Amino acid sequence: MNLNAATLARVQFAFTVSFHIIFPTMSIGLAMFLAVIEGLWLKTKDDLYLQIYRFWLSIFAMGFGVGVVTGIVLSFEFGLGFARFAQLAGPAIGPMIALEVLTSFFLEAGFLGIMLFGIQRVGPKLHYFATCMVALGTLLSASWILSANSWMQTPDGVEVRNGRLVVINWWHVVNNPSWLVRLPHMLTAAYLTASFLVAGVGAWYLLRGKHLAFAKKSVALGTSFATVLIAGQVFIGDLLYGTMLNHQPSKMQAAEGFWERESASPAPYYWVILPDQKEQRNRFALGIPNLGSIWLTHSLYGRVKGLKNTPRDAQPMMGIVFYGFRIMYGTAILMFAVATSSLWLRWKRRLFTTKWFLRLLVAMTPSGIIATLGGWYVAETGRQPWVIFGLLRTIDAVSPVPAKTLLTTLIAFVSIYTFFMAAFLFFVAHFIGRGPDLALQQAEASGSLKNAFRPHVLDRANANATVGR
Amino acid sequence: MDMPLLCAGFAAVSVAFYVLLDGFDLGVGALLLLQPHERSRNHMVDSITPTWDGNETWLIMTGVTLLAAFPIAYGILMPALYIPIIVMLLALGLRGVSFEFRTQMKRYQRRWDAIFAIGSIVAACMQGLILGALLQGISVEGAAFSGSVLDCFRPFPALCAICVLAGYMVLGGCWLHFKATALLYGFSKRTLRVALPLFLVTFCVVAGISFFIQPGIVAAWHSHPLLLSIASGILFLAALTLFASIGKHPDIRPMAAGLVMIAAGIAGLAILMFPMIVPFRVSIWDASSSRLSQIFLLTGAIVVTPVVLGYSFFAYWVFRGKTPEKGWDG
Repeated sequence: MNLNAATLARVQFAFTVSFHIIFPTMSIGLAMFLAVIEGLWLKTKDDLYLQIYRFWLSIFAMGFGVGVVTGIVLSFEFGLGFARFAQLAGPAIGPMIALEVLTSFFLEAGFLGIMLFGIQRVGPKLHYFATCMVALGTLLSASWILSANSWMQTPDGVEVRNGRLVVINWWHVVNNPSWLVRLPHMLTAAYLTASFLVAGVGAWYLLRGKHLAFAKKSVALGTSFATVLIAGQVFIGDLLYGTMLNHQPSKMQAAEGFWERESASPAPYYWVILPDQKEQRNRFALGIPNLGSIWLTHSLYGRVKGLKNTPRDAQPMMGIVFYGFRIMYGTAILMFAVATSSLWLRWKRRLFTTKWFLRLLVAMTPSGIIATLGGWYVAETGRQPWVIFGLLRTIDAVSPVPAKTLLTTLIAFVSIYTFFMAAFLFFVAHFIGRGPDLALQQAEASGSLKNAFRPHVLDRANANATVGR
Repeated sequence: MDMPLLCAGFAAVSVAFYVLLDGFDLGVGALLLLQPHERSRNHMVDSITPTWDGNETWLIMTGVTLLAAFPIAYGILMPALYIPIIVMLLALGLRGVSFEFRTQMKRYQRRWDAIFAIGSIVAACMQGLILGALLQGISVEGAAFSGSVLDCFRPFPALCAICVLAGYMVLGGCWLHFKATALLYGFSKRTLRVALPLFLVTFCVVAGISFFIQPGIVAAWHSHPLLLSIASGILFLAALTLFASIGKHPDIRPMAAGLVMIAAGIAGLAILMFPMIVPFRVSIWDASSSRLSQIFLLTGAIVVTPVVLGYSFFAYWVFRGKTPEKGWDG
């Protein structure tokens, strides 16, 4: 690969979008988690829930902030790096992203302020409402953006007339063939991410014998959510595999690492390959014998279809798709193992005392993020060489911006984003080290919407504000 | 119905909301650099913390409306304004994370405040540069940008950058006048007394020069002399009102006058450029996306925007009155 404008534009987009997705994945998951926790608090009035809420709220806020500022970049980047893509796809994905902004970004922004800073200003019920609206916002945002991205994977409802894209059926554009499978897949991934974050931090405290009540609750909640979610994810993932095999066979061919039109029988399940795209063969391959036939064809001697079934000029790069898939799938298997062990240990009443299990949980803290990134690499690099599958090639979509400029801005993005990440991790580490707050003030107002408009509630909140800090 | 026209209207509304709302919080950010006392800086940041995110969302709204309704223009403008847009986005990013990081990492707060201020200043300047580049004109061939990415770095756009920065500082001063306690009373008055004349002078110079570098502007004055005169008249009247109400009660008056002043400026710009979406080159009808796309966008916008405005107003309402000096958390 040489550093021409097309490559640089792709690397820049890949870098900025990979960095960005880490934060929404956490936000979508944590927002729902926070809504559940605050709901439990309102119901039980157990202060432990409030403590958990306050703790994760701060991390959520920080991650959300990074997500917002890196997300703004993307809404312009469609045109910055890929002007021709924007001009062609704008009529289809533009309105969807506009609706995302209208129905979700404003909702999140409007209620996030109340969620973060309004705990003294509005009552608990109204505050809970704000939390729920933020969670709903993340859900809507995921729905729209997955719809737009799925349209790029499986475009539908449009026609190209005189080089311009014309929408003929909106329902088919929004509800394109892969949307309703990819959306639950991503949402479950986000919720899994939050579950492992919560369980991992709890396990870390348990190993150190600190904040025990908080830690036990976190491990218990995190592992039970994770257990339910991973079971669902296995099912949804399988469904999605079938959908993509139908609509984008080239992607799944690349993901399994076979080249020949028909593999040997029985086929192995590869874990390590060294593909040679030019020669259309693997220089090296290592896998578990027979398992490929069983997993991929659901029979003992089935043959798996390889990438040569796709014409060379329409093939994705096998290596990156294959390893993206293996990272996602391998992490999912680990998650499944953790979930199963947690059930066993819970049954044996040793969930909080088994050292190896707690260490495993700590190691699995970022597992959701890793799996999600792997999955998105499968989705996006597996779609290549198309930017809109079957409609527009990536190479034809690039903007008239010189390579030198692209390289300069790429370096700027990498340095500033690295700085963001370092600051974020520094903060999270610092915050986890400090532990959850002990004393908690709860809002005094009674929680009806009316109270938000009554001045004496405000005065009391202000009085509290003067006493505290 | 003329869908492209309605979509252009919606785009103009979202630009206006963006400039008016994020204008004051970028202004407050820029003013941090001039404020030596940490306690006052905390107070300044606290005053915009609960609502900045919503303000900035209007910027995304603008970009995405362009993508949805005028993809041809979006595809021309983004490469043409590549450098200022990316610099602006990075600056907004640095500023955005500073909100959280400055309070969470007390030890490095001075540095985060500097990043906050410089991010705000750079973002404001880049927006001015973009405006200047649009007014000076963009090279277009067919449906693609045909100039150089360095075209926008010329004297006229640089002058516009100063003008916009000064305008935002005026709005920032007005906001502090309105929301801050006595702690920043003198500071906001001094700010307004310097920033407002600076803004007016640069505005007049920019307006004067624009006649000589852009024939489209001369043509616009010939075709809409009355509308443009009214807009300019309102702008200067509002500026006078603003100047007269500095330090007076009710303390919201400079804010109201400042918003009217900037709104009149935006209206004037819209009249100058209409009906071009890539100024003076590509019209809104030539840059349009498919009719069904615009209908989808507008239906969403008409249904959802009132709700958005409703709860955005509610968010401002919850945090109404003077910002507590001890911050929101208490």
